[in-house]
Amino acid sequence: MKAINTNLEQFSYDNKIVLNFSIATIIWGIVGMLVGVIIATQLVLPAVNFTQYGSFGRIRPLHTNAVIFAFVGNAIFAGIYYSLQRLLKARMYSDFLSYLHFWGWQCIIVAAAITLPMGLTTSHEYAELEWPIDIAIALVWVVFGINMFGTIIKRREQHLYVAIWFYIATFITIAVLHITNSVQLPISFLKSYYVYAGVQDALVQWWYGHNAVAFFLTTPYLGMMYYFLPKMANRPVYSYRLSILHFWALIFIYIWAGPHHLLYSSLPEWAQSLGVVFSIMLIAPSWGGMINGLLTLRGAWDQVRENTILKFMVVGITTYGMATFEGPMLSLKNINAIAHFTDWIVAHVHVGALGWNGFLTFAILYWMIPRIFQTKLYSEKWLKMHFWIATIGIALYTIPMYISGFTQGMMWKQFTNEGTLQYGNFLDTTLQLIPMHQMRAIGGTLYLIGAIIMAFNLFKTMAKGHLLANEPAEASALIRNSVIDSKGHWHRWIEKRPIQFLLASLVVILIGSLVELVPTFMIQSNIPTISTVKPYTPLELEGRDVYIREGCVGCHSQMVRPFRSETERYGEFSQSGEFVYDHPFLWGSKRTGPDLHRVGGKYPNSWHFQHMKDPSSMSPGSIMPTYEWLYTQTLDTSFTKSKLDAMRTLGVPYNEMEVREAVQNLENQAMGIQKNLAENKIKIGANKEIIALIAYLQRLGTDIKINQ
Amino acid sequence: MFKQFISIIPGADFFMITSLLIFFVFFILVGIYLIGMKRDFVNKMEHLPLDN
Repeated sequence: MKAINTNLEQFSYDNKIVLNFSIATIIWGIVGMLVGVIIATQLVLPAVNFTQYGSFGRIRPLHTNAVIFAFVGNAIFAGIYYSLQRLLKARMYSDFLSYLHFWGWQCIIVAAAITLPMGLTTSHEYAELEWPIDIAIALVWVVFGINMFGTIIKRREQHLYVAIWFYIATFITIAVLHITNSVQLPISFLKSYYVYAGVQDALVQWWYGHNAVAFFLTTPYLGMMYYFLPKMANRPVYSYRLSILHFWALIFIYIWAGPHHLLYSSLPEWAQSLGVVFSIMLIAPSWGGMINGLLTLRGAWDQVRENTILKFMVVGITTYGMATFEGPMLSLKNINAIAHFTDWIVAHVHVGALGWNGFLTFAILYWMIPRIFQTKLYSEKWLKMHFWIATIGIALYTIPMYISGFTQGMMWKQFTNEGTLQYGNFLDTTLQLIPMHQMRAIGGTLYLIGAIIMAFNLFKTMAKGHLLANEPAEASALIRNSVIDSKGHWHRWIEKRPIQFLLASLVVILIGSLVELVPTFMIQSNIPTISTVKPYTPLELEGRDVYIREGCVGCHSQMVRPFRSETERYGEFSQSGEFVYDHPFLWGSKRTGPDLHRVGGKYPNSWHFQHMKDPSSMSPGSIMPTYEWLYTQTLDTSFTKSKLDAMRTLGVPYNEMEVREAVQNLENQAMGIQKNLAENKIKIGANKEIIALIAYLQRLGTDIKINQ
Repeated sequence: MFKQFISIIPGADFFMITSLLIFFVFFILVGIYLIGMKRDFVNKMEHLPLDN
């Protein structure tokens, strides 16, 4: 027996909010890509590092944040707000919450765009924003969640289509990731230290970093793929059964794979192995999703020939398949040993970002905007041109980066017949890559031009159409406790119950997270203590904060891996016990310059002084920016005591006297460095920032050296 | 690989075995559900995006 409600209810879909998020996607996308082109150019022409606010170290996180959270973030919300309403046959739960979400998110982006160039960063990759902005992100995310679940609860469609499962998993997992990776102890309004240190901090960060890729760049896009691709091709998804398996397997397995970012590091071996095993397993659900997407177009390939929007989708889904095959391969230790810290990873990331996220975003915008403006796209010719320019741009970006990564990885490991490093001077390997970096900058520029063409085409489309702000719709009201499907399976039961569904997703993602994180936090023996490792002096701690502010971690790792090629070049390999006082850890993920973990004592103070002022004076041909402002800016010591106090709260063994006399001790050490520089005929005030940075650099890795 | 911390954390073996069981039981349930799924329900779900 079926209970059928024949009363049709009239309502409308909110297209205005979809438009707002779409416009934000276009504008922030262009901004983010433009910053990308600027930093790519800086790696070829260091003179493009204009002022401290535009130096590579500070604006590289601006690029990543703008592209991930502003471009992709707004695209996700545009796609979700469009598809969710239609799949649930309901207007968004609250217009007020929709607009609070929109404006709140844009304010966060603006705050990021202001604070990152100022050097206000926590240094956790893709989580650089300081604590007040982190709180704002959490609040806006909750607003989004309430709005989404409110809509789900007032829906007129009984079953939740698979796209909505992906949206729910995105919501809950990003909330868990963001909160866990943002536990900081504030020092001041815009400065904080992570409560985690060293190895634990690294594990939390890469558990977050990897799963931000999974649940911000992947699951919402898979949800959108499952909605928009059938709409675009006008045929149902290839296999609904496969989509269910895809969903559960993906969210179950993805969450375990984070440690593959830390292979050969000081992370405990068992955690690295777990990361590798689950990374390999990830191929199955990832490719299941890709195949499901591509096979949706079975029998419709003639459409792809004619329809440029579908072309964007096909290339986007194919690059998803490429990136999700490459990712597990990169997590194999023998491949990772070559690829890690090189441009190979940059290429891998950009196959996913430019291909998967970029192309799906473009396709969805091209498909949605004419529909909500009740018109046709302004120009098919410009659309086609965008597709080809962007496709060539991706190729020109990624192919040189693969060559560059492989070249550099091999050069680092090359020994002569006599057993010495063939390229003992790190700079030789950097300079070898310049032509590849030039091509990458051209590829990125082409991709940006494509995005500008899209903006022109879409704004012209908006101008010639008329926005249907409130699109009328009608549907039967949902009958609660319907007898329909009452004998269905547990899954049918759960997919009608969004809150239970959310809890099930939460349990699934927490299993992997807890297995990885809990033992690392609970077992002391995972991080052996080294008696010679002492906390930083106040001056070194301030120097470390200058290092963090300038984004040095963007180009320099602090993790000597246990390879002969690395110990020959840098010294003793890094051990987990050396990082116990590092809040945050600064291992880095890319070596545009050499590793710095053993740089302490390698050069005299005067070398660092000259090098930071003009790197090419000490390393001819160096592409490192100059840091002239460190020589004029006075070190701010007003928070030094608070910083030591905060570190003490976090378990760093400073005694009361050390905290009380922090500034005095800082000044004494600074005067020592000043005196040493004066002996080399260098005049500089002891209170300048460069002195603190030199103190920090000279300390790096020396605890172990003392032991030797 | 796990021996090291299974022997150190009290109750860790229970923790690990439970995780493994949840993993397998979960996917067995998903598998049973997928096999037993009715064609008309699949059709209905597949066409949801196309019906609006």
